[in-house]
Amino acid sequence: MSESDPGRRQVQGDVAALAGTIERAAGDLALAEEPSNFARALEAPAPRD
Amino acid sequence: MTDLTLTALAAAIAERKISSIEAVRACLDRIDRLDGRLRAFITLDAEGALARARTLDADLAVGRRWGPLHGVPLAYKDLCRVGALPTSCGTKTAEYFTSEIECTAVARLTAAGAVTLGKLNMTELALGPFGDNPHHGNVDNPWKAGHVAGGSSSGSAAAVAAGLTHGALGSDTGGSIRLPAACCGIVGVKPTYGRVSRAGAMALSWSLDHLGPMTRTVRDAALMLEIVAGHDRHDATSSLRPVGALVAALDRSPAGLRVALPENYYFDGVAPEVRAAVEQAAGVLAALGARVQTLRLPDPAILNDVANVLARSESAAIHARIVRDRPHELGAAVRSRLEVGFHISAHDYLQAGRLRARLTREFVAEVFAETDVVLAPAIPEPPPALDDVTTGPVDEIVRRMGRFSRLTRPFNALGLPVVALPCGAAADGRPLGLQIVGRPFDEATVLCLAHAYEQATDWHRRRP
Repeated sequence: MSESDPGRRQVQGDVAALAGTIERAAGDLALAEEPSNFARALEAPAPRD
Repeated sequence: MTDLTLTALAAAIAERKISSIEAVRACLDRIDRLDGRLRAFITLDAEGALARARTLDADLAVGRRWGPLHGVPLAYKDLCRVGALPTSCGTKTAEYFTSEIECTAVARLTAAGAVTLGKLNMTELALGPFGDNPHHGNVDNPWKAGHVAGGSSSGSAAAVAAGLTHGALGSDTGGSIRLPAACCGIVGVKPTYGRVSRAGAMALSWSLDHLGPMTRTVRDAALMLEIVAGHDRHDATSSLRPVGALVAALDRSPAGLRVALPENYYFDGVAPEVRAAVEQAAGVLAALGARVQTLRLPDPAILNDVANVLARSESAAIHARIVRDRPHELGAAVRSRLEVGFHISAHDYLQAGRLRARLTREFVAEVFAETDVVLAPAIPEPPPALDDVTTGPVDEIVRRMGRFSRLTRPFNALGLPVVALPCGAAADGRPLGLQIVGRPFDEATVLCLAHAYEQATDWHRRRP
């Protein structure tokens, strides 16, 4: 695909939109947040009635 | 005989009312009759299956029972390494995936006495929710010819629904067990992330991949899951948590369990018959004593975006070689989806991973303080005609893929356990499916509720 290829422009547009959404949502993440906290979130006891 | 559930067949073999060789031959006969249209199998190992069945029958004759699946024929999605059989992963290359070790889940089923019939068709590289495949043929929906079987575990679902096998393994990165299960009217379980080892199976996205059972009943799924679940030293992400007795948990009463119908996202734009079927399912559970309520869920749309960033980045890294060296071998939509990953920055990938951690922690804390399970549709409409969704401009096909899997993908980002099961049918018989979502590692509760619903309804008794 060349830079002017419509397919390439579509991909770049999709990626830019996705990146924008992620960046906005991640704006206030705590400094201590890291990807491995995902597994910790699953392993921690979940609330029950 | 192929109409028997996995559990019933296992019992009949154990009591020596049916031999394993009879069970295997019945499946092979049915495959011979029906798979020309369904295209569920990529590799059929008839000789291997018959030889294995003979051995198992001889063992049983001298009192040696391997385990709870002794003599039961199963088949596996063609991304699992199974013995010396080739693993195409739905690509043009017969031996696309190799692994030093056999798929752990398959090895555990085999150790429990299962017989391998063969390897099942799938969407190319497990990338796509419709079940089309340019190399091995499009898997057809057993209920209505020319319609979507669901993907990417399309062959697994079609084979189980049509009685070609008594159970199958699928994989689920964005809905690939639950979507075909719903489209074909069977049960599919996406366990908690880390509950079932992914060792020996092709990865599409390390962060989002799950292996799980696909069967005709919830009891069968619980039995298979109980066997394949549990820690595996070959998979660094597999959990050390004990599995517990999942089959025994089915007999618990659902009375008093809290069931939440989402107020947001999950019913937006879904077909009226889908909404009605899921609401009726909630009514059935209420009649069984469950406490049904509505609940606003933390924004699932951002979970979808997080899953997309992780999946596109990781799949592009894993499959970079075929995209760069042999792109002409890939279908246009699959190639397009993989290429997106080359353009996502490391920054965005890491932010998505960090965001996922926070969103999962918040979802578990907020949602499961209010409910024990979430009930939602699995597919937004009855399985559409395959031509309607797989023809046209590539970017439009990719958008259709996103729309069709938007109800399942958030739960891959969250890693939560989900059972998909049939909950109705369109006027022409095409199946509808629901999802029951539970707390992390609480497969027992989602299976218990799914079983109670199944036993109170007749959807699982319908046959295509």
